[in-house]
Amino acid sequence: MEHVYLGIDVGSISTKGAILDKENKILSSAYIWTRGDPIGAVKELVGRLEKTFNKKKYQIVATGVTGSARKLVGTIVGATMVKNEITAHAVGTTTFYPQVRTILEIGGQDSKIILVENGVAVDYAMNTLCAAGTGSFLSSQAKRLGIEVEEIGQYALQSTHPTQIAARCTVFAESDLVHKIQMGYPREDIIAGVCNAVAANYLNNVGKGKKIVSPVVFQGGVSKNAGVVAAFEQMLGCQVIVDENGHLMGAIGAAILARRGNTRQVFDFSIEDVEFHTREVSCSGCSNHCEVVCVYRDGRLIDSWGNRCERGAVKA
Amino acid sequence: MTPGPIATGKKKIAFPRVADYSGVFRYWVEQCLDQTYILQPKCTHHTLEVGARYSPDSVCTPFKTALGSMIEALDLGADTLVMSHGLCRLGYYGELMEQILRDLGYQFEFVNFAAYSTGRSKDLLKGVKQLAPKMKAARFLTHVMDGVKMCAYIDDITSKYYQNCGFDPSGTYRAAFKRFLRAMDMVHSRPEIDEAYREASYAFAQAPLDKPERPLRVGVVGEFFTVMDAFSNLDLEQTLADMGVEVHRWMNVSNRIFHYPGEKNLNVEIRDLCTYEMGPTSTATIWAARKYARRGFDGLIHVKSAGCTPEIDVMPVLQTIGREEKIPILYLTYDVQTGEAGLMTRLEAFYDMLAMRKEVL
Repeated sequence: MEHVYLGIDVGSISTKGAILDKENKILSSAYIWTRGDPIGAVKELVGRLEKTFNKKKYQIVATGVTGSARKLVGTIVGATMVKNEITAHAVGTTTFYPQVRTILEIGGQDSKIILVENGVAVDYAMNTLCAAGTGSFLSSQAKRLGIEVEEIGQYALQSTHPTQIAARCTVFAESDLVHKIQMGYPREDIIAGVCNAVAANYLNNVGKGKKIVSPVVFQGGVSKNAGVVAAFEQMLGCQVIVDENGHLMGAIGAAILARRGNTRQVFDFSIEDVEFHTREVSCSGCSNHCEVVCVYRDGRLIDSWGNRCERGAVKA
Repeated sequence: MTPGPIATGKKKIAFPRVADYSGVFRYWVEQCLDQTYILQPKCTHHTLEVGARYSPDSVCTPFKTALGSMIEALDLGADTLVMSHGLCRLGYYGELMEQILRDLGYQFEFVNFAAYSTGRSKDLLKGVKQLAPKMKAARFLTHVMDGVKMCAYIDDITSKYYQNCGFDPSGTYRAAFKRFLRAMDMVHSRPEIDEAYREASYAFAQAPLDKPERPLRVGVVGEFFTVMDAFSNLDLEQTLADMGVEVHRWMNVSNRIFHYPGEKNLNVEIRDLCTYEMGPTSTATIWAARKYARRGFDGLIHVKSAGCTPEIDVMPVLQTIGREEKIPILYLTYDVQTGEAGLMTRLEAFYDMLAMRKEVL
């Protein structure tokens, strides 16, 4: 049996999974919505991956998990590597594009920029305090305009005269948008304006003070939006590469990191049928009241975290 | 209700908790001034919650922590509150704090050193006399110097601790550090102070370290309060150290207050980056950042609380340093709402980046 590696990226909006072999070939992949239920999403994801995966020929020997729910999901799937999404994205992208100098990434709730030199990340920035100009903003505005978020790109490309939309802040952008809608501007122009606003917001906030050098790779869910890609190309004045697997890059990076790691553990597809739930316990050891998260597998405690001292430790 | 201290006819003085220096204030009040000090418990979510509830929203986070700390002290029976002067908005905080606390209905005496800080020690002494009218000069002076020495010891031990505790598999550093800080909260005399310091230094020296020849070195710079106070910066230094990083921080009470090289002496070394003084710690932040960069550190972390104007002004200069010296800088802003998960993501990514970068370059 050939050894292969699984990577899972559980984000706020979507959950991604990819199975890679030694040559970084994707054997199976899946992309589904998280819908506020990371545990359910991971179970569904594992189910989908299993369907297109040849269990007789391959064996998953290491599992990497990334994304904002990485700790919880890492516990559930028995991950051998739990890494933050910045490292996962950098590793994934530099594996496929060794020449890359700048990685732009816009996800559902956060956005980041990673600067690369000689195949190694040398600087990064992440949005702080505010989710303006991320995927969740785009999807809520798509809803307002009565279209699917996947269609935004097509609409935007049809526009010849994008409207100006304030890019500084989601709240301002939204009221600006409502105003433009009520003025009766064509929908394509408004959508193109929103795409420009997302790109401008990103470059002004996350990309502030960073020198963006070509080749530029753009990824994350929003990279599937042709309107935003066009806006970036226009603003940066260079080609922006969007990989067909750009939305999976976090999962791919996690799988590569799992392969590089030393731990090996055969992945068990049976987690689909296991009941997991988490419970929050407020520690009463002192007035800090740490929120201790306890994870249960079929009613049995398997892990806990969140305590700041040993008084709040819950033993598995 | 927590029972208050026994009535002694002495003032029950309190000062907000600042990093690990509460023992020093306690020592000064009890030894120099012969009054009682109310030592509130360590800051917790409760402190910040209470502080934030009664603070103006846009004020910087240290004010909220300090106000919460004052309320906790008043609830423990303090009847005299002391507030320091400051070179930024901090200078107005005493007045604001007093007003808020009086509006809440607390009865207390308030000594605001902002009102006595004219630069002349004669005026400063007037403030001290407010706290202890019958104070004896000789006793006062010797014990003030003991407190200064305590700060020096605390800063020395803290600095050694964060530089090495990440490479100490036996846990000796952690235990000795904890013991030392507890001792600093309880000492009564100079011999006790010296003894605690000797003990901690000895324990540190004896601990077998598992340190690589060239470990990752990170310099932490930034706003005075947040950068020193482990509660406010969510244990930044310990988290970094636990990842296996040698953590350096120049900013502390000894370096900034008692042994400050002086605005001029620091500015002359960074003249090409900034001409004027921009705030209480701006010059020091820039100076330290560049010193770390030139000494071959692997990365810098800039720490500030939300709404700290002087440190926001420093950021463009730090970006220049980052570009010129080719050193990655992570900018962290702390607020009441700051989640630990977001901080962990950024720190882990920063660590991974530094580690991978070091392998290649």
